[in-house]
Amino acid sequence: MSRKQGLVATLAAVLISLLAQGATPAAARLRVVATLPNLAAIAAEIGGDRVEVTGIASGLQDAHFVDPKPSFMVKLRSADILLVNGLDLEIGWVPPLTEGARNPKILPGGPGYVDCSARIEVMEVPAGPVSRAQGDVHPYGNPHYLADPLNAEVVAAEVAEAFGKAAPADAAWFETRRADFVRRLHAAIFGKELVDLAGGSKLSRLARSGELDAFLQDSIVDGKPLSARLSGWLGAMRPVAGAKVITYHKDGSYFVRRFKLDVVEYVEPKPGIPPSLKHIDDLVARLGQGDVKLLITRPYVEHRSTDQLSSKTGIAVLTLPLEVGGAPEATDYFKLFDMATSKIIAALDTPAGK
Amino acid sequence: MTHSSSRRKTRAAAILAALAFGTGAAPLTAQTPEQDKTAIERMQSEIEQLKAELRALKEQIDAITRTPAVSAAPEAPGLPAPSSAPASAAAPRAASAGNVFNPAISAVFQGIGNASINHDRDDDGLSLSEAEIGLQAVVDPYARVDMFLAFSAEGEAEVEEAFATFQTLPGGMQARAGRFKSAFGKWNQLHNHAFFTVDRPDALTAFFGEESLTGDGASLSWLVPGTGSAFIESVSQVASTPNDLSFNARRRDLLYLQRLSSVLTLTPNATLELGVSGAAGRAGPTRRLLDDIDDAGLTGTLTPAERLSSNVFGADLTYKWKPVQYNVYRSFLWQTEALQSVRRIGGLDAAQELERRTVRSFGGYSLAEYQFAKRWRTGLRFDYTGFAADDAARQRAASAVLRVQPTEFQEFRFQFKHTARNEAAGFLFDDIRNDNEFFIEWIPVIGAHAAHKY
Repeated sequence: MSRKQGLVATLAAVLISLLAQGATPAAARLRVVATLPNLAAIAAEIGGDRVEVTGIASGLQDAHFVDPKPSFMVKLRSADILLVNGLDLEIGWVPPLTEGARNPKILPGGPGYVDCSARIEVMEVPAGPVSRAQGDVHPYGNPHYLADPLNAEVVAAEVAEAFGKAAPADAAWFETRRADFVRRLHAAIFGKELVDLAGGSKLSRLARSGELDAFLQDSIVDGKPLSARLSGWLGAMRPVAGAKVITYHKDGSYFVRRFKLDVVEYVEPKPGIPPSLKHIDDLVARLGQGDVKLLITRPYVEHRSTDQLSSKTGIAVLTLPLEVGGAPEATDYFKLFDMATSKIIAALDTPAGK
Repeated sequence: MTHSSSRRKTRAAAILAALAFGTGAAPLTAQTPEQDKTAIERMQSEIEQLKAELRALKEQIDAITRTPAVSAAPEAPGLPAPSSAPASAAAPRAASAGNVFNPAISAVFQGIGNASINHDRDDDGLSLSEAEIGLQAVVDPYARVDMFLAFSAEGEAEVEEAFATFQTLPGGMQARAGRFKSAFGKWNQLHNHAFFTVDRPDALTAFFGEESLTGDGASLSWLVPGTGSAFIESVSQVASTPNDLSFNARRRDLLYLQRLSSVLTLTPNATLELGVSGAAGRAGPTRRLLDDIDDAGLTGTLTPAERLSSNVFGADLTYKWKPVQYNVYRSFLWQTEALQSVRRIGGLDAAQELERRTVRSFGGYSLAEYQFAKRWRTGLRFDYTGFAADDAARQRAASAVLRVQPTEFQEFRFQFKHTARNEAAGFLFDDIRNDNEFFIEWIPVIGAHAAHKY
């Protein structure tokens, strides 16, 4: 009997502390949790000091395999907004976190659950049936879309909209910050001079539809085609356009499409499947042709296969982070691409102007 | 009607806007006759652009009319409109209207090979020890359901777990109702395919049986607030349990369970979880008492008590090390659980009268596992246990385990286990005092990608 009384007392204590909880006023700043560092970086650009951004994954780790530590549930418990990459990238670890957080706002379908892939033009959506015979295939397409800086513009719109809905009084402020972020992003991608001449949105639109080159070639200003004024990351990468590279995982698709690199092979025979000795041998044979100069790998990937390939073929190996914080110099989304583009150019060592 | 006319208006506006934007897209140079050809090509591409813009604008307008709260963004024409972009991506998301609400289905089975090196035992050999089908879906905005149906080697089907979770309660609460594995310690809540070894630790088998302690009832868990970044969870459960070892009373004698646990983040790479659990229920007569009464020819004369108190307390400690950067390749786990059973049992005294006394028995295990490559883990487990209804029986065991995971969806386990029992425990195991066993297990998983618990 006394056990039952004890239980009743415990339940009463729980209820009382619950009521006390309800009485605490909400904090003024929007509390935002982002699953991945790139999303956190964009959220900070849009939110400024009117939001409090917390990231879950580290830039050094593989976004597919983050451990859903209970401390992240604690972070999510009081979040107003959860930004997720979506496209099943975080399928292994976000569901236990949202379920454990006891916060209805950030459950899928809740007002604070924001899937940043909603407006992305997704690459490599499987056309036919998918099965795991293809490896760790993503049934909704390639989820690493923020490797194309133009997609940051799309995510920024998604984020600004979500913030504006959650804090309507600050909606205009978020919109101003978004516009400013996009302006800086365009300048970084195309170069400020070209953006001033042709307009960032227009360049972005043309780049997206694949018509940018034709437009820049054909538009003559002061006797020079606009293409001469392309700078920024696209301009910097132009001399190495068409260069053949191999990557470890199939996570560079968006990047190489934007910057016109040609991925001829992957170190993984299938997504998520580590290379066998035979696959390494095949790669060594392929690299023997001498036309592939660069292997791009990630900070969280094993070194053995890439070291082997490099020692057997002399190929340059470049470890590039996919996420902000994945290298000491990649402190924000802009520096992530500053670093990636400059390192690729240096590694390919192609004289400027080709 | 009003809908189609407003459509027409927006389309007209879109065309006007597109024309306005389109002029901006004209090359910034004067034409000469020899440039005619390129000019035509340019115009063609301009028309394509216009079409694209038109589409984008239309969708933007649609989007704006749908969400009036957000102002139109000046830079927005550069963005693909929400509905146009994932047209291809949306296809597999909603494969066919009839199936979209179907639960996520997963299936797993375990093939086990089991051999005693010293003894000829009935359960040696190969078997498909269990197949399990998982069905998981959201019911409505308030609840989700998780159902696991298990099929045993003998072909019996049972509901292993089936519970609804109510996730939208206020104040950091979460409720569960249905059949679920009791929140006692760490290992008890694992499904067989998620074990770190082939077999269940001896202490859990001795106190709860071959299956997890499971009950039909309700559970309320609470994430304790105001703890900074520390995770402190309280789980309270009330259930009827079909467990026939520690809680073999009638189903109406409920099992009350309380668990408190905390996970401390020691470093970004390491966590320490501490937990205490207590389960309080009722137990009926032990098999030995019934046998003794039967042997004394007193069946029908002596009626043993049906509901004596039976409590099991537990403490657990789990240290996990997973280097953030290389968490796929290296990890270390050290998990220890201690269980103490305090049970009132009936017996026959020298005068063939019923007497009661308290049996206290202790058990536990300690497991260390090191992952030394992406696919390879090796572990050691030490077991020590008494038995809930027996004062004297003691059993010790040591196991070495190798787990190989070719992918996330397949696992092989190899285990060698040495067991030593005292005489009293030997009675419980066909007089086998010392045993050396070898297990091999194969576990393929198909279907929906299950999330990993930490």
